[in-house]
Amino acid sequence: MPLSDTTPLLEIRGLSVTIPTPEGDVHAVRAVDLEIGRGDIHGLIGESGSGKTMTGMAMLGLVPKGSRIGAGRFHFDGQDLRQQAGRLRGRRIGMISQDPAAALNPVLSIRRQIDDVLRTHRDLPRAARRAEALALLAATGLPDPEKVLRSYPHQLSGGMQQRVVIAQALATGADFLIADEPTTALDVSVAMQVLALLRRLVAERNLTVLMITHDMDVIAEACDRVTVLYAGRSVETGPVEEVLNRPAHRYTRALLGALPDAVPRGARLAVVEGSFDDPDPEGAA
Amino acid sequence: MTGSPLLEVTDLLIRYRAGLFAPRPKPAVNGASFRLERGTTLGIVGESGSGKTSLLRAILRLLPVESGAIRLEGRDWLALHGRALRRARQGIGVVSQNPFLSLSPRLTVAEILAEPMLAAGHRPGPQIRDRIAALLSDCGLPAAFLDRRARELSGGQAQRVAIARALALEPRLLVLDEPTSALDVSVQAQILNLLSDLRERHELSMLFVTHNLKVVAHVADSLLVMRRGDVVEFGPTEQVVHAPAQPYTRELLSFGVHSRTARKEPS
Ligand SMILES: Nc1ncnc2c1ncn2[C@@H]1O[C@H](COP(=O)(O)OP(=O)(O)O)[C@@H](O)[C@H]1O
Ligand SMILES: Nc1ncnc2c1ncn2[C@@H]1O[C@H](COP(=O)(O)OP(=O)(O)O)[C@@H](O)[C@H]1O
Ligand SMILES: [Mg+2]
Ligand SMILES: [Mg+2]
Repeated sequence: MPLSDTTPLLEIRGLSVTIPTPEGDVHAVRAVDLEIGRGDIHGLIGESGSGKTMTGMAMLGLVPKGSRIGAGRFHFDGQDLRQQAGRLRGRRIGMISQDPAAALNPVLSIRRQIDDVLRTHRDLPRAARRAEALALLAATGLPDPEKVLRSYPHQLSGGMQQRVVIAQALATGADFLIADEPTTALDVSVAMQVLALLRRLVAERNLTVLMITHDMDVIAEACDRVTVLYAGRSVETGPVEEVLNRPAHRYTRALLGALPDAVPRGARLAVVEGSFDDPDPEGAA
Repeated sequence: MTGSPLLEVTDLLIRYRAGLFAPRPKPAVNGASFRLERGTTLGIVGESGSGKTSLLRAILRLLPVESGAIRLEGRDWLALHGRALRRARQGIGVVSQNPFLSLSPRLTVAEILAEPMLAAGHRPGPQIRDRIAALLSDCGLPAAFLDRRARELSGGQAQRVAIARALALEPRLLVLDEPTSALDVSVQAQILNLLSDLRERHELSMLFVTHNLKVVAHVADSLLVMRRGDVVEFGPTEQVVHAPAQPYTRELLSFGVHSRTARKEPS
């Protein structure tokens, strides 16, 4: 086995992202350690504002203009993301966002949108691109790929749109996908199907996924390992089973206790003290 | 009259009008029947397009019904019209999914909370000011928020304001359409705790709509499961959760942390 197969695909130590604003610097990410093994679905969980999206954006080289990225180590497959993120984006690193309707162009057919990606990233003749587009849509479990190719985004349900976005991410040839809340906008039953699809694609195509979410149920459904983010810092990481059964950090315990089926019906759910959404954070212990 | 349920819906059929020459569409709600007992919460759950919002809109008389009956506090609710209907509708508070769409971004929280009272004919003055402050603190926000603008609120804070506004006219019935679906799970927990406090304090009855069965199973005394316009289950929460009649219902419950830890924990 070549050495590269046992080294982690992604290695981040002490990542920080500081965004300059007219009101002063925003410390969007303060200290994140993240190590993702090849073939893993690695969850990144935390509540709104904890820095999940900005951590993903830093890997894609898409931080806001003027932002400062600091890190002890910020490597993807041995390459330093500080220099290489822009080049790796779309080649090795793909993106699936929360809102598939916003990710797709409303006035272009699905055929055109997938073909644009294939033309940019893969050196294929026209007929081969068409066959590849059909194969990709079929791989995402869409029932009638021919019909989907002819469709426009508004003619598809949210779950179908998200499958198209996944097909588009695969069309780039990327082997590492950053999925930012990919199921948050979907119905529970559709969300479960999309997560099952991602698991299948990871196994079939040797992909690695960073799964960003605020929902421990998504972590439990989809992930092998998980890192917990709190106020821009990674506070706990480990195999999903271990973190779910023996959460070490009180914030992780609160995220688990906030699930509506964590307590008997009608009993109080856990609330995160000093949470970003706490109306009275000074009053919090 | 104490024996009658707060709300009783019988064989309700709702169908949107199609274009002049288009074929008649399938009903959005296909013969729904259920009761909401006073002081209890009924959860209405189903995937997108199953007819949940249409059902709520018909109960709010924002949508005509094709057939069926609705009785509210024993009265024929579909027989009310015009001014009488508008007055009676003040007895129902409404909270919708996206607080940012339902709150005018440029108004202050105080203005937002005053609005339903002024619209109902209350005169501006110190009473309204006191009532607004009480509503806000009831919903877990300090008085400092009165002068904030809606666009400066987080999602959870905005939803607290939307709930406070829905309570402004002391409704007997609170209708909530996906009130936590746009929120983080941790913020959702705060809102669910708030709703259960308010329910105790104000003896509210609630219709709570969501696509997430786990959420309503937590808050509701009874559950109604809809699928493609049909009511596929209706019963006490314990019964629907522990002995679901439909495999679909079971599927909506068996995912996530508790399924995984039950599955994998060595015994
Ligand atoms: N473009 C930006 N300018 C200034 N601050 C930002 C910007 N984007 C995000 N932030 C701030 O950075 C922090 C982390 O944001 P984000 O990574 O989006 O969190 P999450 O995805 O966990 O909700 C938040 O406090 C947010 O307000
Ligand atoms: N304004 C409308 N005109 C025509 N059809 C509608 C309208 N609103 C909803 N529908 C249809 O009615 C059905 C039920 O929709 P809705 O009540 O919004 O479901 P839910 O709230 O469960 O997602 C769907 O098939 C939807 O397409
Ligand atoms: Mg985010
Ligand atoms: Mg709806």
